[in-house]
Amino acid sequence: MATKPQAFDPKSQPGFGFVAGATIVALYLPIIVLVAFAFNATSSLGIWGGLSLNWFIKAWNNQQIVDAAIFSLWLALVAGALATMMATLAALAMTRTAPYRGQTLAYALINQPLIVPEIVTAISLLIVFSAVKATTGYSGAGYLVLAHTAFCIPFAYLPIRARLEGMDLTFETAAADLYANPWKTFLHITLPGMFPGILAGFMLAFVVSLDDVVITELVKSGGQETLPTFMLGQVRRDMTPEVNAAATLLLIPSILLVTAVHLINRRK
Amino acid sequence: MTDTPRTSAIRTEGLAKTYGKGSSAFKALREVNIDIAENEFFTLLGPSGCGKTTLLRLIAGFDFPTEGQILLHGRDIAALPPFQRPINTVFQNYALFPHMTVAQNIGFGLKMLGWDKARIGARVAEMLRLVRMEPMADRATSAISGGQQQRVALARALAPAPKVLLLDEPLSALDYKLRKEMQIELKRLQHETGITFVFVTHDQEEALAMSDRIAVMNRGQVLQVGDPRTIYNAPADRFVADFIGESNLLTGRVMGAAGPGVHRIALDWAEILALGQPDGAEALVMIRPEHVQVLFASTEGALPATIAETVFVGTETRLHLRLSDGVAFIALLPNADATSERLEQGRDVWLSVAPGTARILGGDHG
Repeated sequence: MATKPQAFDPKSQPGFGFVAGATIVALYLPIIVLVAFAFNATSSLGIWGGLSLNWFIKAWNNQQIVDAAIFSLWLALVAGALATMMATLAALAMTRTAPYRGQTLAYALINQPLIVPEIVTAISLLIVFSAVKATTGYSGAGYLVLAHTAFCIPFAYLPIRARLEGMDLTFETAAADLYANPWKTFLHITLPGMFPGILAGFMLAFVVSLDDVVITELVKSGGQETLPTFMLGQVRRDMTPEVNAAATLLLIPSILLVTAVHLINRRK
Repeated sequence: MTDTPRTSAIRTEGLAKTYGKGSSAFKALREVNIDIAENEFFTLLGPSGCGKTTLLRLIAGFDFPTEGQILLHGRDIAALPPFQRPINTVFQNYALFPHMTVAQNIGFGLKMLGWDKARIGARVAEMLRLVRMEPMADRATSAISGGQQQRVALARALAPAPKVLLLDEPLSALDYKLRKEMQIELKRLQHETGITFVFVTHDQEEALAMSDRIAVMNRGQVLQVGDPRTIYNAPADRFVADFIGESNLLTGRVMGAAGPGVHRIALDWAEILALGQPDGAEALVMIRPEHVQVLFASTEGALPATIAETVFVGTETRLHLRLSDGVAFIALLPNADATSERLEQGRDVWLSVAPGTARILGGDHG
């Protein structure tokens, strides 16, 4: 094949290598430093004192970190599942019904948490939940579950909708032709077809919930700590590589799940 | 015309479908009345956009009519959802469920009907045998060829033993050779199962080869229903004559009857005898190319013409001719006769129309 001399190839532009390299360093160097010092033998965050797993063991034995981690996972699981359920229903309503008035508005509303600054959402939730707390006296995890579910919905929604839009409607027509009523059609054809999207949506929602700080910090009641809010508290007091170790552990589920989502989306 | 149908399987009465409203309304079907007999291979034939697929979708229940009735063995089913109609469909793209094996696809309808596992297994095995796909039962549908997918789609639609099988251009995705094979296969399956087949196609050759009867459609209307020979030999109007096979259409003056059902028609340069009933002083006459003999010397009663173009098509040569008044005319010459010096452009020839083959068409005389 003859090469096209006119085609624009960013890779052949001067300085491309340098810009790419600098970007990668800016993105990942801090994380690499953080992970490296998790393995530091001394309590310094700046001076390397030899390799050790000490801080991981300390973190593991720190009941506060363990409690915060368990609470984080529980919250991400519950809020992620609820958000995925709602996102699934929303995606079905947006792709499997006749066009209706207000469909575009509905789409905008579903994606609203992606656009509104997080601190704005956090403060509004703080005000509303304080009022609810004052009248009901309830101060459990319900507020966090509600808040996390709300901001996780758009993350769960996008892959599910993409999957549904890519699915041929003829399959559902064929099922109806073969004596499946709408409920059975959904159960046997639509649901298995959209399952990779649901799984991807749930994983994204899970990771987003697991990583959240701003909303969680403002909504949580006294005594409730997720791993990120606990770490934020630690950083403010006296910071040791124990925090690095906890952060390194927090990276693992994020990396695994985001990779899994990528693999699911690539496989047709 | 052939015998009128025995028992009617599908009958439509005043069936109409309009999409949209007001000035943007599109009439996909208007006043369709057809009667499809039990155990018949019935074809809906027409160009794209003629309404044949809309009619099929109404019968299947994927869409609902604006007006009229669809009677299945005398019962109006027009308002029933598709899963309550004992009618199955073979889709143009097959629509095999990608997350199920070949056998699971074939058994899907039976499972939805609530058959027990043993009965489904036996029926699926029977269907696999019927379409000659036994070794493929546990394959994924993505791991078989297009022709095999076609067979699975057929088996899946036939498994519940529907009263009527609808086929929506099922052969259009196959290559020429496979298509010819599947035509024979479909005829065999229809014969063995005794199920009424309603077949949609835009391919007139396919329709002629396979059908017991054909309904020719255009612009949402059924123009003619008849067996392939009737449709070909005695088309109802200009559109049918033009759409089915090749035809020469000439306008002439009616000179009078020359016998029962035969009229003398005067063209500008000659007079011919044509079958049929003219509906005025002018008549549109159809002459099929294969009914014309090309002569190379002036002959009494033959139409004079000149050769404009010749096209070699293997068994014969197609002659594109101009009649003396400039009208285009097509004739076929068996290749045993076609020697090159005889077929020069501009050469004069004479056309003899076989007696009893010219036809007077009804409808518009355009």
